[in-house]
Amino acid sequence: MRIGEVFLGILTAVGGFVDISELVFGAQAGSRFGFALIWVFAFATIGIMVFGEMSGRVAAIAKQPVFNLMRHRLGLKMGLVTLIASLASNLITCAAEIGGMALVLHLLTGAPVSLLAVASTLALIASVWVLPFKWIERSYGLLGLFMIVFAVAVVAIHPPWAQVASAAIPNIPAGLTSSELLTYAYFVVAIVSAVMFPYETYFYSSGGIEDKWTEKDLGVNRLTTLVGFGLGSLLAISILVSAAQLFGPLHIDPQMPGTVALEAAIPFGKAGLLLALLGMLFAISGAAVETCLANAYSVSQFFGWEWGRYKKPWEAPRFTLAWLAVFVTGLALVLTGIDPLTLVEYAVVFSILVLPLTYLPLLLLAGDRTYMHSHANGPVAKILGWSFYAIIVLAALAALPLFVMTSGGQL
Amino acid sequence: MKPGGRLKLVSGVRDLQIVDRDGRKCGIADDLEFAGKPGGPLTIKAILVGPGAYSGRLARWAMWLVRRFAGTRIVRIPWSDLRGIDSMIHLSRTAEELGLTSAEKRAARILPRRGAL
Repeated sequence: MRIGEVFLGILTAVGGFVDISELVFGAQAGSRFGFALIWVFAFATIGIMVFGEMSGRVAAIAKQPVFNLMRHRLGLKMGLVTLIASLASNLITCAAEIGGMALVLHLLTGAPVSLLAVASTLALIASVWVLPFKWIERSYGLLGLFMIVFAVAVVAIHPPWAQVASAAIPNIPAGLTSSELLTYAYFVVAIVSAVMFPYETYFYSSGGIEDKWTEKDLGVNRLTTLVGFGLGSLLAISILVSAAQLFGPLHIDPQMPGTVALEAAIPFGKAGLLLALLGMLFAISGAAVETCLANAYSVSQFFGWEWGRYKKPWEAPRFTLAWLAVFVTGLALVLTGIDPLTLVEYAVVFSILVLPLTYLPLLLLAGDRTYMHSHANGPVAKILGWSFYAIIVLAALAALPLFVMTSGGQL
Repeated sequence: MKPGGRLKLVSGVRDLQIVDRDGRKCGIADDLEFAGKPGGPLTIKAILVGPGAYSGRLARWAMWLVRRFAGTRIVRIPWSDLRGIDSMIHLSRTAEELGLTSAEKRAARILPRRGAL
């Protein structure tokens, strides 16, 4: 195993873990419920580790990304339903990320949000056109490491560590009214969705194929998903903890990205604010690229087209047109004037509805010895996989009623 | 597995990725074409690729949408042009020779061929 490569891969996974929905829901969760929702981040992170590892293993052994084998396994009809649902979910998420980039850039420059959304999309298109896959993955992931300022900020404000640690165990805070309990349940579902977004496994497994993974890379896959995703999740938890300490007591509801950035500004002043905004900008940009490419991967793999950004854009032309179309449609959604944070809410709710469709074929494939030979799911992966799957299905069933009953967590 | 080997035909081959002799991805096995008479042996004639081959696999309204937006094009790949089947179908000829590159070429015409590292 090449140590430098592994280290870089882990750092990339850390920097690429957080996106706009985790920023928004992490900060709001902390402000409203103190440390009580930390366990949901920890729990959902184990879920994304399990499914991320599986998707990477399928890519390395079957040499096929998830969507390719998914169609073969589910057939055309069910495959089409899954394709359309994930395209819609990823598109809304991509639009939310573009909107989020524009909001952060607005804070940095003061220019109009719509103009910045156009500029952001053009910059994203240029980067994906010019850079090969490895560079895209690494540059956004590594630049996203500016987000570490949030972890350092938590240490600087000295939270009660014993309380933080005890909140990693599932709990329901005492004394909540029934409407607050519903909102708490909505946040549980939203955080599970935000951490386990379906685009993550599509992007991760397709990335494994882009990087030409083989059986030899299974160790890298395991380390990246365990250590990289684990440390990335700590950044999201840091945002929650700071919000609980700084905003909760003042009854501030940190809905805007600018408010989240204050978590670093309070202990470190202007430098902290700048680092936080840069970290957020790059983390959100990386997620925009991942959601967009995830859609292009899915559609190309479903129809068997040439795909991959290890090729020049004109060497996989339908794949290229697909990602260009996703960026342009995502931008169009933002330019309709929908609040990017409303898009985040829709993305989170819609994604949890899609998750069972996404993860079922993956579970079946990873356990299928025809494709996976001796690397098919063992007992631990099976138990973890199916347990998380059952929880995802429950969360998906509860998501829409909770969204409606709590007016999107606003109660 | 060799083309002459035993396999569950429809579930084993349908909806698999097809790659040509040079490893180029060139579609999905959307359906299979059989030849034979009642009482006689059944043989596979070809793999069908293209939106026209969805007919019979999708509901009528869905097929109407497919026809409207993707057309009814079908390319027939003779079974004899298969080299092997694993998690993909491997062809013994190029995608170009089998007429599987027309849509890809149309898309390529729109894109500039510069600026990428």
